[in-house]
Amino acid sequence: MKVKLKSFTPVAYWHWDTRDPDDVCGICQNQFDGVCGTCKEPGDGCPLLFGKCTHEFHLHCIMQWLEQHSRKPLCPLCKRPWEEATAEKYQEETAAQQ
Amino acid sequence: MSEARLRRVNKEIADCQNDKASGILIALVDDSPFHLVGTFPGPENSPYEGGNFDVDIVVPDGYPFQPIKMKFITKVYHPNVSSQSGAICLDILKDQWTPILTLKSTLMSLRSLLCSPEPNDPQDAEVAKHYLSDRADFERTARYWTEIYANGSESARPPNADDDAAALARRKKGVKEDPALVAGLKLEHVEQFVNMGFERNAVIDVLKRLNYRGANVRNVTDDRVVNELLGI
Repeated sequence: MKVKLKSFTPVAYWHWDTRDPDDVCGICQNQFDGVCGTCKEPGDGCPLLFGKCTHEFHLHCIMQWLEQHSRKPLCPLCKRPWEEATAEKYQEETAAQQ
Repeated sequence: MSEARLRRVNKEIADCQNDKASGILIALVDDSPFHLVGTFPGPENSPYEGGNFDVDIVVPDGYPFQPIKMKFITKVYHPNVSSQSGAICLDILKDQWTPILTLKSTLMSLRSLLCSPEPNDPQDAEVAKHYLSDRADFERTARYWTEIYANGSESARPPNADDDAAALARRKKGVKEDPALVAGLKLEHVEQFVNMGFERNAVIDVLKRLNYRGANVRNVTDDRVVNELLGI
């Protein structure tokens, strides 16, 4: 039997690779896969920033906080000094914790 | 950014209204979601048990990056709350604020502040002095304030509480707030100086200033009180 494909509709799904995909950004209280309060387009337009302390926020949310506390930037959640982690490093650390 | 602030606050108000279990209520003062009144019940096993405490809430322009402004509307007798203005001394409302705190979590922190005063970082120095010099006497006054200002009920009173019989009698008769009791003073102490011919309110002011309460009474001589009353 031969099948002739006339058309197909590809569907893609994405979400940020966070510990809990349903979790919200602690600063704007919107979902990580959503946008910070100012953006319209989720995804690359409104990315996440991962901290070495394993806490993540929308880039725009955490930057606004860090700019206002540039002398002593702390993670809003655990109050440890804020250090940026690359996404790979973050994956390793959360894997090690589990 | 103001749109983000509006969205977050509206969401927080809705969250509080949907959560009946916490006992925390939030209501709008006018049409603005940035001026609110929060209400929570006084914590159990504290002198504030049985009372309902109203808090004035202002959400600043910089929220959530700037702390929420809160002060008590209900009068509270507590070392970290101004007995005059209701201003609150709490680190998270100042330099320890972080944007992950919410209206609800901040109100819950206020509630736990009532259970665990920090008399060494006071907002009201006179109340803090009272707390430090005689804890049981302080609690009696705090409970009296809860009853007369926060709709506290008699049932909120622990059965073994050292009752001021005269105060209880006055309350039963429906007489409200005696300024001597509000100031945390014993009626017989006040009367002792009133009987010398001094004006009652002046006696209350002086005794309050000298922390004439509980164990500290023996440190304040009658002469000292009289001299203060005479302005010497």
